[in-house]
Amino acid sequence: MTFVLALATMLLHITPTVVLVTRPAAVAALLPDAQTFLAREIHLSDADAHRLHEAVDWSPEDGVLTFYTGRNGDAVTGALTFVRVDTPHGPVEIAVGFETSGAIRKVVVTKATVETKPWLIEALRAGLTSSYEGMQPGATPDGAGAVQSAVGPMPAYMAERVDRGVARALAAYGTFYR
Amino acid sequence: MPYDLRHADVRVKWLVTCLLATFGIAYAFGAWMVTLYAGFRPATVAAAYAEAEMPMTMPPESTMVLEHRMELSDFSEAAPHRVDRDLLIQDTHVHVPIYGLIAAALACVVLGLALPRWAGLTLITLVFAAPWLDFAGMWLTKLVASRFALLTVVGGWSMGAGYTLIAGLAIWQMWGPRKGPST
Repeated sequence: MTFVLALATMLLHITPTVVLVTRPAAVAALLPDAQTFLAREIHLSDADAHRLHEAVDWSPEDGVLTFYTGRNGDAVTGALTFVRVDTPHGPVEIAVGFETSGAIRKVVVTKATVETKPWLIEALRAGLTSSYEGMQPGATPDGAGAVQSAVGPMPAYMAERVDRGVARALAAYGTFYR
Repeated sequence: MPYDLRHADVRVKWLVTCLLATFGIAYAFGAWMVTLYAGFRPATVAAAYAEAEMPMTMPPESTMVLEHRMELSDFSEAAPHRVDRDLLIQDTHVHVPIYGLIAAALACVVLGLALPRWAGLTLITLVFAAPWLDFAGMWLTKLVASRFALLTVVGGWSMGAGYTLIAGLAIWQMWGPRKGPST
């Protein structure tokens, strides 16, 4: 009993991550026609990192933006990127897929935490991600506004955080991918 | 000392018992969570908290692009659960005050136990020092070296030992067999 209780007390503070959609499943959903993939790592200079930070109050991890381009033969079918948004309740990861035209094809929430999962599920059920489809770089995501009347305060708060992630993906794509 | 759990009103004894039971349940689920995300060995704790190796420490003079081919299977993530610096800041901010409140509650139980003064002081120190060691280990693992993960393991065990000792003594003194007439 002592052994079990002693073990029980270790590391109670970890913020557990929950995978809502695996990365391969997100890639398949966002780049459905792609047969091959090309990872494009964009190592930002100080000046470009500053420019991005000024635009969306964000710096990518290690100063590297990573986009994945989908190809079918020689044809590009689209691109996607994964963006992490930190919240006081743990990180959220979203995958943002782009059409070849540059418009958002689809957004998938890939990771949450034990605490944020039910809030995100409620926001997703209210249609959060559909509000992003078709948005072009330069537009301002407002998924939170779209679902606000249909969800509680915490799902609305998480929707605002997802908005932030989508804004980062749009800015990064519009400025550095194209 | 007027506050003595052995002779306390049954309502106080029941309150303390419920408090300890609640902590016990929380700790049991905490252990379950640990098995899922960090494990119980210094090596696995270090894997969760040590700073990831940085392939490029300085930004380039001008933005540069590297490309490489991938297969769909390459998107799979098998990496261990990692707690980066931002998350650790958040964890410290959220959990240290809660640990303080738990330690304070356990220390209040200690004050009601029939123990020599030195033993009471030791137990109170233990319940507060354990989370300090726990978080010190995490930060030192991240900022200095992976071997400090041992501190986190020691901190975790200390928390468990402190809780177990206090809960065992309290339950025994409150509800155990007693010599002489009951109050």
